[in-house]
Amino acid sequence: MEIIMIVLAGILFGFAVYNILQKRLLRIVIGTALLSHAAHLFILTMGKLKRGAAPVLREGAENYSDPLPQALILTSIVISFGVTSLLLVLAYRAVKTNGTDNMEELRGNNHD
Amino acid sequence: MTNLAILPILIPFLSGVLVAFTHNRLGLTRTLAMLLAIVHLITMGFLSFHVLTEGSIVLEAGDWIAPYGIVLVLDPLSALLVLTTSIILVAAVWYAPSSVSEEQESFYFYAFVFLLITGVSGAFITGDLFNLFVFFEVLLMASYALITHGGKKVQLRESIKYVLINLFSSMLFVTTVSYVYAVLGTVNMAQLAERAAASDSPGIITTVAILLFFVFATKGAAFPLYYWLPRSYIVPNPVISALFGALLTKVGVYSLIRTFTLIFHQQPEIIDNLFIWVGNLTMLFGVLGALASRNIKLIVAYNIIPAIGFMLVGIGMFNIDGLSGSIYYLLQDMIIKAALFLLAGTIASLAGTADINKMGGMIRSHPMLGWMFFIGGLVLAGVPPFSGFIGKLLLVRGAFEKGETVTVIIMLITSLLILLSIVRAFIRVFWGEGNTGAEPAGKHGSQIFSAGFLMLFTVFLGIGAEAILPSVQQIADYLLEPQTYIELVLKGDH
Amino acid sequence: MIFAILMPFIIAMCIPFIARFKSKIHTGYAVFATALSIFIYFLTLLVSGETDIFYHYSWIPSLGLDLTFYTDGLALFFALLISGIGALVAFYSVHYLSKNERLGHFYVYLLLFMGAMLGIVTSDNIYALYSFWELTSVSSFLLISFWFTKKASTDGALKSLLITVLGGFSLLGALVLLQIVTGSTSIRTILSEGSLILSSDWFPLIIVLLLLAACTKSAQFPFHIWLPDAMEAPTPVSAYLHSATMVKAGLFLLLRFTPVFRESESFFIAVSVIGLLTLFWGSYMAVRQTDLKGILAYSTISQLGMIMSMIGYGTEAALFAAMFHILNHATFKGSLFMAVGIIDHETGTRNIRKLGGLWKLMPVTGIISVLASFSMAGVPLPILNGFLSKEEFFTSSWELAHTRTFSTGFADVLMHVVPYAAVAGSIFTFVYSMYFFFGTFTGKRDKDIAEKAHDPNFGMLISPILLVCGVVIISIFPNWFSHHLLHPAANAVYGEALKEHHIHFWHGFTPALVMSLIVVILGTAFYLTRKYWAGLYQVLPGKLSGNAVYRALLTVSEKQTKTVNDRLVNGSLRQYNMVIISVISVVTLAILFGTNAFDLTNIDVSPVTLPGSLPELAVALIMITAAIGTTVSEKKLTAIIILGVVGYGLSILFVLFRAPDLALTQLSIETITVVLFLLCFRHLPEMERDIKEKLSKKVTNIIIAAVCGLMMTLVGLAAYSQRLFPSISDYFVKYSYKLGGGDNIVNVILVDFRGLDTLFEITVLAIAALGIYSLIKLRHKGEDR
Repeated sequence: MEIIMIVLAGILFGFAVYNILQKRLLRIVIGTALLSHAAHLFILTMGKLKRGAAPVLREGAENYSDPLPQALILTSIVISFGVTSLLLVLAYRAVKTNGTDNMEELRGNNHD
Repeated sequence: MTNLAILPILIPFLSGVLVAFTHNRLGLTRTLAMLLAIVHLITMGFLSFHVLTEGSIVLEAGDWIAPYGIVLVLDPLSALLVLTTSIILVAAVWYAPSSVSEEQESFYFYAFVFLLITGVSGAFITGDLFNLFVFFEVLLMASYALITHGGKKVQLRESIKYVLINLFSSMLFVTTVSYVYAVLGTVNMAQLAERAAASDSPGIITTVAILLFFVFATKGAAFPLYYWLPRSYIVPNPVISALFGALLTKVGVYSLIRTFTLIFHQQPEIIDNLFIWVGNLTMLFGVLGALASRNIKLIVAYNIIPAIGFMLVGIGMFNIDGLSGSIYYLLQDMIIKAALFLLAGTIASLAGTADINKMGGMIRSHPMLGWMFFIGGLVLAGVPPFSGFIGKLLLVRGAFEKGETVTVIIMLITSLLILLSIVRAFIRVFWGEGNTGAEPAGKHGSQIFSAGFLMLFTVFLGIGAEAILPSVQQIADYLLEPQTYIELVLKGDH
Repeated sequence: MIFAILMPFIIAMCIPFIARFKSKIHTGYAVFATALSIFIYFLTLLVSGETDIFYHYSWIPSLGLDLTFYTDGLALFFALLISGIGALVAFYSVHYLSKNERLGHFYVYLLLFMGAMLGIVTSDNIYALYSFWELTSVSSFLLISFWFTKKASTDGALKSLLITVLGGFSLLGALVLLQIVTGSTSIRTILSEGSLILSSDWFPLIIVLLLLAACTKSAQFPFHIWLPDAMEAPTPVSAYLHSATMVKAGLFLLLRFTPVFRESESFFIAVSVIGLLTLFWGSYMAVRQTDLKGILAYSTISQLGMIMSMIGYGTEAALFAAMFHILNHATFKGSLFMAVGIIDHETGTRNIRKLGGLWKLMPVTGIISVLASFSMAGVPLPILNGFLSKEEFFTSSWELAHTRTFSTGFADVLMHVVPYAAVAGSIFTFVYSMYFFFGTFTGKRDKDIAEKAHDPNFGMLISPILLVCGVVIISIFPNWFSHHLLHPAANAVYGEALKEHHIHFWHGFTPALVMSLIVVILGTAFYLTRKYWAGLYQVLPGKLSGNAVYRALLTVSEKQTKTVNDRLVNGSLRQYNMVIISVISVVTLAILFGTNAFDLTNIDVSPVTLPGSLPELAVALIMITAAIGTTVSEKKLTAIIILGVVGYGLSILFVLFRAPDLALTQLSIETITVVLFLLCFRHLPEMERDIKEKLSKKVTNIIIAAVCGLMMTLVGLAAYSQRLFPSISDYFVKYSYKLGGGDNIVNVILVDFRGLDTLFEITVLAIAALGIYSLIKLRHKGEDR
């Protein structure tokens, strides 16, 4: 199962990269969203999957899923959310101000 | 006493919150910001002195023993870095009112600055790999807010690139942390070091380390990962450029020094050569950009990169001279880069343009500005008796000791080209016909003073090197012996 | 002693205050007094025979950098030269520079230079020597560009800075190697470890680096090109730095280390060849110049080459002659520069084509010039010190073959060629000396010049007259100087005591005299016929010149660097990302397989069962489909919503993999994100295929994406399967309730064990909120709608 999940995360990562390499700003932002999904799936998998109950203590449970990666993911999800929100607003402002959402037109030059 | 280790992050954090609440009373905000920055500087001075004389301070946050909780480790290296950071903070807050528009200032400018410092200081003192990621995010988020602050067209254009590049490396960072966790079963740096040293399969450790190397090298702007840096660093206000130029890339370098001396030095033949060659190329390509530029701010921005190359090769030498050279270079470069960004900002503001070919004869009206810029060039090129020389001498010695003659030659040529880039700018801006910026300094007076404040430190770090250098050499010695750090944090009781 | 060396620096700090009174008293007098008192101090040392004075101050001991000064014969010799010529030049400059000039700046630089120069010659510590060395380069830079509005000045200054600092940096390299080899930073200790250095593996590199330093500083071929351009400096500076002192720092450096190197054959070959080449080239090029200072600059280059070659010979006679010629050169060249300054001052030009016939108009200057230039030419007269040292030069060249034996064939051949080369090189020395004197003082006289030219006031003449008196006095009492000054110096250079050496005007018909006569006869012939062979310059150097190379390099550093850099840093986000991602992927893959880290033997996976694992597999499939969907979708709304599907898929996976907290968080955050996406992109253009991608670009993107995805997968698998240590998580399970007081382990970790993470995670959110607020509210005026 872990192998499948790692491959899945890798595929998501690849798609993320593909989108990041596009010109359209929206595509790139979508790429970053995919990227964080891939990253979180990687983290979860690294803590092993399906090895016990959800990490909430209860009578009778012998094994629990590794709680540490879950805690790390939670932190990371919240941070990613913050970054993505800022990125979205920034993208909106950048496109409005510069009049294009094509990053190749936003190269600029060394003189400004 | 151990609680003192929280101060480097607590003071700027609370300061940030405090100035955020006063944002609509500008006079109060400014005074408060300056006051708090000075308090921070004094406290960090005291703390560093304490650490250098009495020894490192380890704080287990929330009293959870290492490696299970998060530890903050204020060792001599971290202490000197947070101290240097606090010096730059004072200069930045001093410079800001005359450069940042009042409207911008009241839009949480100082809050962002303090939070940026929080993130930077946190990254310097944390002893936990995932927590390092969190502090990276704090400083990055503050930098995102600052780089877009003001919302000019070019700013928005360049900052979106900046955010996207950093976002990729952040995600790679967090993924790599999970890889490290899978292999070594922990995220506490001391325990990582202990376990990495005890393991007998170095291959996988080196592999994940390489990923981490690239994460930090992207933040630290090493070749060929630096392309994003120069243009994005010059678009915001000079104060922000100075903070970025002085602090952000250096956090990347610090992280490399910390993790690769402590944890990931299992296969020196790979790791050392990686550092040396990436460093060599970083020096050459970075200075290439500096030579190619006609924009005074860009020239300074590009000069960040060869300096990073110097520090990287020093880490790759992995001997006392190389490492102490890197650390000394790191400390002094933070200060001189901040000073140069501030000076370049003032020059561009006085001239009304950043193009050096459109200026001339500025020395007539602004001799102080000119001579400080000139000395800045000498510092960068490593001309004695200034601080750059001390670092360069150690690096050259370290490289020769390791037999890396090519690196020495590249270092020396790079230094010469750095000198050319700065002196050429100096000649075009300050000498020759014309009389750029003839009006009296006015509000630029305080800008020149705040840059001068930083210049004093570079001069001190050169002439008075003996005050710091023995500590730096001890740090290098201590970095070469990770056991000290491991015992400091884990105390052998886990 | 320390005071004598630091005095220039201390006075330099006072100069800005002294310069305030420049309308009452010329600032130059303060400098004159400084230099004079230093001169007198060193003179008393010399007279009392009290050498080997030593002063020690620890500066940066952890770097091996001390301020340790000592005077041996060599140091004393140079110290006297520096302070003596310094005093004369300062006095001369008082009359040369008007009070309207920026005197404060000028004298600060001059004093910095003087102090640095004294530091070089008296330092025992290699790094202190290096520091002073760089300071001379910097002060020279500032002095050359004293008239900073002239482009020629600043260009010349930049050139000299770049070339001398290049040498400085290689000097640093050489000194560091010397420290590594000998383990000491004290020159005296290093000199005593000669055999260690000669047998070291670093020896060739040390020689190369040291020579680079010496040749750049002392304007040796092909690095001499900076010196003619340095003539843009005020003439006192040219007389002082660029003929008498700074350019001799390179010679000093080699002399300092001669005790170690003189036995080395490679040192002999390199130094002699460079020296003779420079001797020839400098004198040959001097004849071509039209600017008087240009002639003197090339002449200086040539003379330095001659001294250099003697250092290369390394014999007793040659080293003694080298010291003698350094002294003589300072006297005649210093007076010539001052004479040129006077001519320039009086006639307003230094162009030899415009000048002529000044003898009648400026008799005193003429007498100074004739003595000095004839001395430089080596005209056999008993009142010209230049002849004496030239004789010594010829003698040492001639006798070289009898005094030294070499093992390699090349050195052996060279040794026999040396005398002929010495004569050939000296012929043009004679030619340019004549050209200089007769071109200026005889022949037709320009009308305009005739009206205003006359000898200057006496003050301006004092210094050159004193120097020319030196020329005469030295030639009349050579053995007094030999005994008191030259011998101690040459002893220090040779490393052991030399035989007592007597200098005579008349030796009888020796080979040296014959060589001198050949030079005079052929030189006269060449001088008289120079019109006929001037065409030679079209062939040599023709278009070949060091200057062309320098200019080309400078252009490359500005233009080509821009071309390359613009290609790298071209503003394209795609390119930045492409480079970053492909470098990371390729290098990491290489390391993964290079270290044999891709080892899945111990992989421990939970089994995939059917139908038990169907939900996971289905979700995975949906996520992949959605990822494809969002990537290919052309409608932004569709793309965003399908992106949401990936996120929701992830939260279902979280549920399936027993991470309920994550699932909840992911679910809610995904929803908000999608809404935000829609809000922000609602007003933005659609994503129709209006931007056509080239196929090649598409393929590149796919390859990079695939390689990166593959790399992450493989490293992930490798990391997952090599779990070298148990996780620390057991602790959290064990103590979550006991110590953390909570059932939900993840929550306890978040708020308790790793509370700091959470605190700053919230900080990140808060900053993001403030940042978004500023982005929306704070807009740059004039650019936005």
